[in-house]
Amino acid sequence: MPLERNTVLELVQTILRELGEDLEIKELSATDEQTRLFGSRSALDSMGLVNLITDIEEQLSDEHDIHITLASQSAMSRTHSPFRKVGSCVNYIMELIEAADAQNPS
Amino acid sequence: MSQVAFITGTRKGIGRAIAEHLLSQGWIVGGCSRRSTDLVHENYHHFEIDVADEAAVIETIKTIKKLHGPIRALINNAGVASMNHILLTPVESYEKIFKTNVLGTFLVLRETAKQMSRNGGGRIINFSSIASPLNLEGEALYAASKSAVESLTKTAAKELASMDITVNAIGPTPVETDLIKLVPKEKIDALLEQQPIKRLGTQEDILNCVDFLLKPESDFITGQILYLGGVN
Repeated sequence: MPLERNTVLELVQTILRELGEDLEIKELSATDEQTRLFGSRSALDSMGLVNLITDIEEQLSDEHDIHITLASQSAMSRTHSPFRKVGSCVNYIMELIEAADAQNPS
Repeated sequence: MSQVAFITGTRKGIGRAIAEHLLSQGWIVGGCSRRSTDLVHENYHHFEIDVADEAAVIETIKTIKKLHGPIRALINNAGVASMNHILLTPVESYEKIFKTNVLGTFLVLRETAKQMSRNGGGRIINFSSIASPLNLEGEALYAASKSAVESLTKTAAKELASMDITVNAIGPTPVETDLIKLVPKEKIDALLEQQPIKRLGTQEDILNCVDFLLKPESDFITGQILYLGGVN
């Protein structure tokens, strides 16, 4: 069954909460679609974002058997980074999952 | 519990020797090469992949974790060489050498380091060569690829230090393997003349470096290129 958007959103929020505990950033304990992940108004520094991306890839792989690479050339070269907010990040993950499904239909 | 290592290029030569060495020390070893292997051991798992194939590398690194647990040590050994005068070097040599030596090292390092960063860190050992610091004639592309590996090693060491991952490289002298068997004796003798210690390397020389870099006490050593034979 394809992964629901809400499931991906919860996965990202859970990872952010855990990262927040590890890095002692209390803003990450409760996030929503508008929470900034990237840029000067983000609670995450650049290494925090690296950890977030690798954690998302790993959890999608371990828990849902979905193998995608978030850090692609197309993501990095977009005018608006897909990692700027929680909501845009979830949209981007859904795009990649759909593209992977289209390439390897089960 | 046994620790898990992944070694590239384990079908023969130095990679095979390192695999057998770590297996004898009780490690669980994942290995790969483009072809099958006759290395059989209850703790050895072979993958037939090209290290420059991104999808295959991603799948392999994930599979090792699923089957055996997170990788603690990566030995990025796979490499190809090609000797030729620079004016007689076909562009295909560039593609072949840089794909395996640079792209392959990068891809395996990236995917393994992602896993290590989530699982308490680890050790990464890349392979350079004395061909890089000696700028060996006849090995322009090979030396250039190993210089790229050295640069990658030093930068990765900085970027991964906060994740408790060390990244170092070993720079062997020529060892009697398939990689140098077609090199004329006079060329090898001329090369040895450039080394302070004038002999071919042995597999034991390299195993000693691997042991040193994998020792728990070596956790303060990263971003270093460890040349053999006195070369620097």
